[in-house]
Formats: sequence, C-alpha cells, structure tokens
Amino acid sequence: MDYYISQLINGICQGSIYALMAIGYSVVVGVVGLVTFTHGEVIMTGAFAAYFAFQFFGNNLLLGMVASFAASSFIGIFVYKVCYEQFFDAPRHISLLLTIGVSMLLKNLTQILIGPNNLPLLGVVENKFFGVGVVGITLVQIIVIATVISFSLLLFLLFNKTRWGVMLRAVSQDKRAAALMGINVRATTLAGNCIGSGLGGIAGMLLAIYYQTLIATMGGSAGMKAFSASVLGGLTDVPSAALGGFSLGIIENLGITFASASYRDIFAFIFLVLVLLIKPEGFARKRGGVRP
Amino acid sequence: MKKTIAHYVSDLSKGIKALGIGLLAAVLIALPIIYPKSYVMGVICRMYMYMILAGSLNVINGYSGQFNIGHAGFFCIGAYSEAILATKLGLSFWIALPIGGIMAALIGLLVAMPTLRLRGTYLAIVTLGFSEIIRLVALNWEGLTGGPIGIKGIPSPLFFGFKVSRSIHYYYIFLSLAALFFFITYRVIHSRVGRAWLSIREDELAARSLGVETRFYKATSFMYGAFWAGIAGAAFAPYFRFISSDMFSLDEGFNILSMVIIGGQGTLLGPVVGSIIVNFLTEFLRPISQYRLVVYALLIIGMMWLRPQGLVGASNSILAGGVVKIGRHRHTPTGAAAASGAASGAAPKGGR
Repeated sequence: MDYYISQLINGICQGSIYALMAIGYSVVVGVVGLVTFTHGEVIMTGAFAAYFAFQFFGNNLLLGMVASFAASSFIGIFVYKVCYEQFFDAPRHISLLLTIGVSMLLKNLTQILIGPNNLPLLGVVENKFFGVGVVGITLVQIIVIATVISFSLLLFLLFNKTRWGVMLRAVSQDKRAAALMGINVRATTLAGNCIGSGLGGIAGMLLAIYYQTLIATMGGSAGMKAFSASVLGGLTDVPSAALGGFSLGIIENLGITFASASYRDIFAFIFLVLVLLIKPEGFARKRGGVRP
Repeated sequence: MKKTIAHYVSDLSKGIKALGIGLLAAVLIALPIIYPKSYVMGVICRMYMYMILAGSLNVINGYSGQFNIGHAGFFCIGAYSEAILATKLGLSFWIALPIGGIMAALIGLLVAMPTLRLRGTYLAIVTLGFSEIIRLVALNWEGLTGGPIGIKGIPSPLFFGFKVSRSIHYYYIFLSLAALFFFITYRVIHSRVGRAWLSIREDELAARSLGVETRFYKATSFMYGAFWAGIAGAAFAPYFRFISSDMFSLDEGFNILSMVIIGGQGTLLGPVVGSIIVNFLTEFLRPISQYRLVVYALLIIGMMWLRPQGLVGASNSILAGGVVKIGRHRHTPTGAAAASGAASGAAPKGGR
C-alpha cells in the first residue's frame, strides 16, 4: 500500500510537469491556431538552457527558470517566423510539415552540438525527504509542484485580469474579429507563442531537475505527452490540458507498478488513444474559434 | 468508327510510352550484368527499398491527404515479422514476406481506427507515438525480439533451391518488388478506390456528400500504405541479415517523409525522385553523416517554403495551395476530385 501511495505522489509530481507542458502546448495551439510538433524540442531547449545556467552560474533555480523561459521563447520566435508567419492562409499541412522539419533540425543540431549522450544534472536541489506517516515527499517534488502551481496561477491572472490576456483570448477565438477590434493580431500571436513556448521551457527545466539527467532526444516523448494531455481539452483549452497532464502522470506511475518501467511511454499513448476513442473533441466546452 | 489523326497520334504516343517503359525495364534488368560492383548494387537496392517505403507513404499522405509521420513503425513490423518467422519457425522468405505486409496492414488499421473521424493532425501524433511505441516494444520484449541485441543471422531466401545471398541477387528481388508496387499502385490510383482517395484529399466534406464512404477509404488507404511498408521491411530483414530496434527510430520515419516531400506528394514519380536524391545525399554525406538529418530537415523546410508541391508536383496541385478549378481537369483521372471541386465551388481549401 505504501508503495502505491508513493507512486501516487510521484504521479502527481510528474503529472504537474506534464500539466505545465500541456498548458504551454494549449496556449501555443490556441493562440496560433495551427498545430505544432516542435513543442518537444522547445521543452528540450528549456532543459538545456537551465543546465548551462546551472553550470556557469551555480545552482540558482530562479536563474535557471529565467534562462529556460528566455531560451524557449527565443525558439518560439524562430518557430513562429519559420513555420507560421507566412502560412496562416496556406493549406494546413504546410505549417505542420514545417514544424516537423524544425523539430528535426533542432533535435539533430542539439545532438551534434552537445552530444548524443545523457548529461547528468545532480545536486541542483538538496536531497531532502519529508515524511508524514506513510506519506513521504521529497524537496524536489515540493519545488516542482509549487513551481507549476505558481506559473499556472500567473497564467490564469494574465489571461483573466489583464488587457493583454483579453487580447490573447480574443486572438485565439477569432483572428479576424480581433483584428477588426484594433488588436495587432500578428504581435499578439507572437507573444502568445512565446509565452506558451516559455512555459514549455520551464517544464523542460523541471523535467531535467526531477530526473537529474537530460538528453538531446528527450523532446520526442515530452512533446508526445504534451499533446496527449492537451487532447483532453481539444488541444486549446488550458484548464482541461492541465487536468490531462495530472491524469497522465498518475496513470503512468500507477501503470508502471503493473508493467516494467521501460514501458512508461506506452501509457501516454494508450491515454491518447482512449481519449480519442471516447471523446475526440475533448472535454472542454466549445468556445468558438478554430479547432486545429 | 473512323480513325482520325488524333487517334493515330494517341496510338503513337502510347507506343512511345510502352517503348520507353520497355527500354527502362531492359536497362534496369541488365544493370547488374553491365556494372556488377557490389557497393553500387547495395546503394541501388536501398534506393529501391526506399522507393517502396516512400511510395507507400505517398499513398497515405499524398493521395488520400492524411498525415502519417511514423512510417518507420510499419517498416519495423514487417522486418521483425519476417525475422521472427524465419529464425524462430524456419518459415520460407516467400511465405514470411506477405505475412510481414499483412501484419503491418492489420496493425495499421488498429492505429488509424481512433482517428478516422478526426482531422489529420490527430493521426499524425498517433502515428508518431505508435512508431516510438513499436520501437520500445521491440527493444524491451526480449523473448520475442531479442531486446537490445536484435535478431542476428536472418537466413537468406532460397529461390528454387538457389541461395539469394549477394547484393546482385537482392537487386532483382528489390527491383521486382518495386516494379510490382508501382504497377499495383498505378492501377489502384486509377481505379474507383484511387479516385475516392483523391476526393478525400481534395475535400473530405464534399466527398462524403457525394456518397464516398470516407472512413472506409481512409482506412483502406492507410492499410495499403502500411502493407507495402511491411513488405519493404520483410525484404530488408534478410538482405541486411541483422535487425535491431534502433534502425526504426523516429528519424527513419522522418527520413522517409523527407523523400516524399522532396520528390512531390501525390505523384507517382515523386517518391522515386525523392528516394534517389535522398539516397545519393546519404552516400554523399557519409563523411559527415551526423549532419545528414540536419540537411534533410533544411530540405523539408526549404521545400515547404519554395515548392510545397515537391520537385515533380504540379503548381496548381491542392498540396501547393491551389484550388481545384471546374472543367480544367477533365482529362486527368481525378474525376472525383473535379466533381468535388464543382460541389464546393471555389471555397477555400485547407481549413482556413
């Protein structure tokens, strides 16, 4: 029983990372209106940016976050310029294939520049353990969950309480109407893309801290999980995407108690297929706008 | 009926076409006798194999307008099926070859099923995930697939008692498989089924309103593509004599995808051109092989920016952002496509 409870806690912790990835993904897809396959590589970039920040400036978590947010936002701008800007009116498969091309490019460039092996990332967070009865939780897990919750709150405030958030929501619902209301659609889309990518980058940093290792090919499964989690919200709804991330993490960690841990990524796939079979349009209420 | 000059001209052009195909076939058949260098033969064998792979992906992506980006998964299933059947059960290559294809097609059906009602994006991510899952299963199911060691010593096929073992012999196997693939695909594309696939690509809603059972035809297109990827895999396993899970990574799927895109989606010739170019590039870039996929990625991006229809695609193709115009495609086999254009008028395509 203890084992299951600790797996559940692991699941919630990992689920919160997946939730942050999925939130970023939903923001990107919602605001841009086109599906992206680069999110995994954006996450990977964030992880590597944090790694180098920790290497050069010491283990300062805040600095790592700034570095990963900045690096991933920069990649977000690059992706926007290459894959979306010219292709809003073109057939969708063009931007889709472009994002696949960019993800290939980023992954392989990272592999060449940094090397194809796992890099260890040890001792960023003190290895402390808090136990209350049968429930035990490590400091890393507390930090991860706290970070995710605070960023989700920040995003919520940004979206609901600021003028910027209203602009972002307007653009994600209807670009044409937003333009008629005097919103600079291109700039807002770019900003939304940067925010979503930056959140993905922070999720990447958390992944690296949590697993204490990072590798150039980590983007593949990370992007897959971000997508699977956000399918729950029809790819664009942020709260459902977060819920999807949490459930994905819990399913994964309870799943590997029954099967080998090397099959971890299979659960994300099964989750995705099940959601697509049961409710392919997601559980979120339709709020107009494009369905990617 | 009296024959007009136009008839004679068309007969003549048909004759020239037949002559051309005959000459090409003769050259291809005679090639190993003229130039029997084993390195060159190996490269050409791989080219034929990728022609089948890219061609079958093209049926899914180019002709029926779906998104499969994990084609390596079906390639993997074909290869492992053949290898397991040949090493564990001692089955002949000629029986294991179609079984590999059928396995891939059946699993392809399972993969495509959840997304048949949805837009292509979902299929894209499902195939991407599936390709990775298949690799994971091959890596971890040690009892069946040999785990990280892979399967070694896959026996060479016997052709009426003659052992097929050198590249020159495999040349003929791959040549005949590729020829068979292109012949059957040509026939299918120009049949009712092929027209249904094209109509789904041009405008799914219009196709459905004209009575095309879109889910059925999407599934058949996916299964057809997966089948030939399985066949290519099953032929690849004994040729390479050794397979392991890392040969079928996502990069392999992207590799096949780049061939289709560079050559031109939705054309029979596109994957041929694409696989020739990409395989030449592979050989050319061998000294700096780690940059290979970077080059392919840049090629995909460049193609999408400059020529989204591919090298041999037509510029008025829907894949290049063109709109089907009424009455312009009368002589093409895409009757259904023209009809769908008529049904939807000049409505913008591609989900704007």
